[in-house]
Amino acid sequence: MAEAFIYDAVRTPRGKGKASGALHTVKAVDLLAGAFAALRDRNQLDTARIEDVTVGCVTQTGEQGSCIARTGVLLAGYDETVPAVTLNRFCGSGLEAVNGAAAKVASGFMDLVVAGGVESMSRVAMGSDGGAIWDPSMEFDYGIVPQGISADLLATLNGYSRDDVDRFALRSQQLAAAAMKRGAFDRSVVPVRDQNGRLMLDRDELPRADTTLEGLNGLKPAFQMIGVNFGVDALTQKRYPHVEHIDHVHTAGNSSGIVDGAAAVLVGSKAIGEQLGLKPRARIRAIAAIGDEPVIMLSAPAPASRRALKKAGMTPGDVDLWEINEAFAAVVLYTADQLGVDLDRVNVNGGAIALGHPLGATGAILLGTLLDELEARDKQVGVATLCIGGGMGIATVIERV
Amino acid sequence: MENKGFNVSFDAATGVATLTMAMPGKVNKINADFGNGFIAAFAEIQALAGLKGIIIASGHKDFCAGADIDFIYGQRDADALYAMVSELHAGFRALETCGKPVVALLTGSALGGGYEIALACHRRIAVEHPAIQFGLPEVSLGVIPGGGGTQRLPRIVGLQASLEILAQGKIVRAPKAKAAGLVDELCPDAESAHAAAVAWIAANPRAKQPWDDKRFVWPGGVQPDTGDARNLFAAGAAMLVKKTAGAYAAPEAAVKAVYEGALLDFDSAMQVEARYFVGTVVSDQAKDMIRTFWYHRNAVNAQANLPKIADARVQKVGILGAGMMGAGLAFVCAQRGYDVVLKDIRQDALDKGLAHIKGQIPKLAKHLSKDDQAALLARITGTLDVGDLAGCDLVIEAVFENLDLKHRVIRETEAVLGEDAIFASNTSALPIADLVKASIRPANFIGLHFFSPVEQMPLLEVITPGTTSEETLARALAFGRQIKKTSIVVNDGYGFFTTRFFSAYIMEAAQLVAEGHSPLLVERAARAAGMVVSPLKVFDEVTLSLAAHGFEMRKRYFDDDLDQAPGVRLIRKLVELGRTGKAANAGFYDYTSQPRRLWAGLADVVAELGAGTPAETGIDALQDRLMLAQVLEAARCLDEGILKSKADAEIGAIMGVGFAPNTGGPLAWMDRRGVRAVVTALDALAAAHGPRYAPPASLRAMAETGERFFEAV
Repeated sequence: MAEAFIYDAVRTPRGKGKASGALHTVKAVDLLAGAFAALRDRNQLDTARIEDVTVGCVTQTGEQGSCIARTGVLLAGYDETVPAVTLNRFCGSGLEAVNGAAAKVASGFMDLVVAGGVESMSRVAMGSDGGAIWDPSMEFDYGIVPQGISADLLATLNGYSRDDVDRFALRSQQLAAAAMKRGAFDRSVVPVRDQNGRLMLDRDELPRADTTLEGLNGLKPAFQMIGVNFGVDALTQKRYPHVEHIDHVHTAGNSSGIVDGAAAVLVGSKAIGEQLGLKPRARIRAIAAIGDEPVIMLSAPAPASRRALKKAGMTPGDVDLWEINEAFAAVVLYTADQLGVDLDRVNVNGGAIALGHPLGATGAILLGTLLDELEARDKQVGVATLCIGGGMGIATVIERV
Repeated sequence: MENKGFNVSFDAATGVATLTMAMPGKVNKINADFGNGFIAAFAEIQALAGLKGIIIASGHKDFCAGADIDFIYGQRDADALYAMVSELHAGFRALETCGKPVVALLTGSALGGGYEIALACHRRIAVEHPAIQFGLPEVSLGVIPGGGGTQRLPRIVGLQASLEILAQGKIVRAPKAKAAGLVDELCPDAESAHAAAVAWIAANPRAKQPWDDKRFVWPGGVQPDTGDARNLFAAGAAMLVKKTAGAYAAPEAAVKAVYEGALLDFDSAMQVEARYFVGTVVSDQAKDMIRTFWYHRNAVNAQANLPKIADARVQKVGILGAGMMGAGLAFVCAQRGYDVVLKDIRQDALDKGLAHIKGQIPKLAKHLSKDDQAALLARITGTLDVGDLAGCDLVIEAVFENLDLKHRVIRETEAVLGEDAIFASNTSALPIADLVKASIRPANFIGLHFFSPVEQMPLLEVITPGTTSEETLARALAFGRQIKKTSIVVNDGYGFFTTRFFSAYIMEAAQLVAEGHSPLLVERAARAAGMVVSPLKVFDEVTLSLAAHGFEMRKRYFDDDLDQAPGVRLIRKLVELGRTGKAANAGFYDYTSQPRRLWAGLADVVAELGAGTPAETGIDALQDRLMLAQVLEAARCLDEGILKSKADAEIGAIMGVGFAPNTGGPLAWMDRRGVRAVVTALDALAAAHGPRYAPPASLRAMAETGERFFEAV
């Protein structure tokens, strides 16, 4: 089998996902095209050599509908021969895009693929695309609940208290602040400018360096209302009859932030790198996705990681750094517990709780963050993994070359 | 005319044709005759020259009672039923797309399919009378509307309002029906309603249904396939599951039909409804629910083989004991127009009872005028003096369950009553034969067992020892009808039927906990089986001390091994620890936190009593145990002659003590499981846990012959 290498990774800064956010007036496709353009420009790419573009985007409706990937390619000024596909594996989409690109390259079918993701959550509301999963049948027959309830259930089942998740959230804020201060994201982040070249945002907008534990402790549980008052907690009883009460520990402060952003990753074979004079930064050692019980929904990063590591002939102990998406604090605590991984090696530059989770882009962003930090620390092996709606997980193992 | 019962009249002056439904008998019901008659009459109308509009009216008291239940009950062939339903749909479609305005003239109640006829009209004009009702109560019989109700109603009242009506089978009285959107216009009487119909036809010559308009916008503010709609359905489904624990197929089918139908054009949506309708009609759950809530309930209410008297000769009712039950009874009697004397022995208890009654007014009598509310209260007199009971035609005692106390109360009360007065005991367990020993008028002595809260609970268990006269029974039944209770008449014996049956439920739960099963799983298993209230929760409410008291009382009447059962030991231990139930803030649950939580110390107590680890547990196994214990008690009560009819078993179990309505009752549950399988399971339980689980001989005989309690459909 041929190998797949990461040649570069770029991303936009993440803007607050609301009308007052710095990127709200930027169209989703412009965020994406900006990332594509940056990837081309800094690698002096002959885009005619790109054989496919795979883009993760979750809420594919409105301006994010109709294969935003191809429009992004055109707007970025890529060669017209470059095709593109938009895909949706919920929160795993950005990493799925990379994994799919890696599979195309590793199989030898293609040599150069751009992968990435985009989500303007301020412009296209989460959930506004509808979907089969919202059919009441799924509630009646399966007990499917909104993922905040799943997160609280996960915390309840594993004994993570409100204080545990708040402390983790504080850690995320502190690590993110420290990372930004020392420029840990500088290699990947490309500023977003308007059509006149005026700077709109050059650093992640969401983190709050002044976050305190007291402040976090004081926030209202985000899912208590739908869980208790609207009866949604009761749906979990079919699968979890032994849970008397769900402890609603998650808040806006210890869950991932809603943001706007895009990312692009250049994946190629060894040969194309040599031909184009590109230096590979890392090898994609293994990829995996997996399904798990859909009511708890958020438990699959650990089995996905294990599956990927097994393919790579590795164990969790061989991994120097982890990026476990901070969808909810409990997800990271649970995944690290399941894998037996010390938090010292997990999300060392903070995560989505502080920085935000632009659904379709996050997977690609995490991979870039991971690679940057492996280089900064001169470490070898990293894993990026995310929990995914519908009870799935995805993971990618990379190794520096 | 071949369309017998469907009369057409035509007023050439206004151009209004009236189709009057007056099927043979007292009611219009939807069956094959209805279809043929309606279609023929409609065809006749369409051929009329100068036709401007149509009024659909009823020649009976009700507009239309809905589908013929006999027809629905017999249906098992999904394909054949789908074809029939499609024809009905086409008929209703023809009505609403005929090009002329069609008005439903609702001079009487329109329920189920009857209301669906009205929905297929362009305008619903009703007489404003509280006895006239509208709604789609199909889910209470385990089915969903099949005449377009799940599609037309949401398009008329909006998604949210329709979900509430459809999933709960809600019925709305005429005065509130306009605000609820179920009718368009209310008129004081039939004449003015007719005039309004004629006027509306004249003013709306080209009426069509809103959903047949290309610019149709859903009413109620929520459009299908939007975020709002998804939130609405998600919350609606969740609330439903919270209430039903997923044990009922019909309300879920109704929600699904609305959701899926709302994504489609109207004609396609009707196909969706037809599929869900057919699915519920042919299901076992519908058969079991129809048998019990239609046939059995009607049979029990008909009181066919019971002595009948029109006048109970009761004007004044005495109630002894002003607790929850006594005060509730006083309210119920006063509500039905009786003068009531409420007696207690303590002023504070009496005051509390009277305060309870006052507190019920804004909840249960808010529809009455201020004057009527005041009159209701004025009918109740509180007293500490037994002499004030003089002149009562019926006295119901609701004092503490103690034989000596009851004897004393009977003696002192009967002494002031007239010769014709009835004395009734509301004991929930003591054999009436033991109470009657204190009576000077045994022929006038009867057991009237009410259920708490008596304001809501529909059942009355009437207990007749051999001494009760036919006339007393007849008067008691007439009184029961007057206070709107469904009566079952049972033979005397400790705990009668309902208390024995209910005890079997909560004691089996205690037994399971004592065996080491998770109390939470026991609770969840009961709800998943369809039980209305989970057993440990309700155990706390009836109090563990009362149960412990009951163990002592029942010993005198039963010679079995229950007293040695781990469950009994557990209850005694909890009482000893002061965990007597909800009133004490401590029982199986802990009530110091909000909401209540199962008491964390329970496991230690159970371990101390020597419980091991059960070999088999889980929701399914626990459900089986809880249900088996109850159906066994029902089988015994039949076997011993406590129960006189199988219908009484089903109605008493469900309406009295909240047995799973989705099953149709304990006997239907056995039929569904198979009596042979029930006997096998009980034998296994008896082997493992003692002879108290052994099935009675009659059940064993049924298992051998393959006999069922009810004929299969």
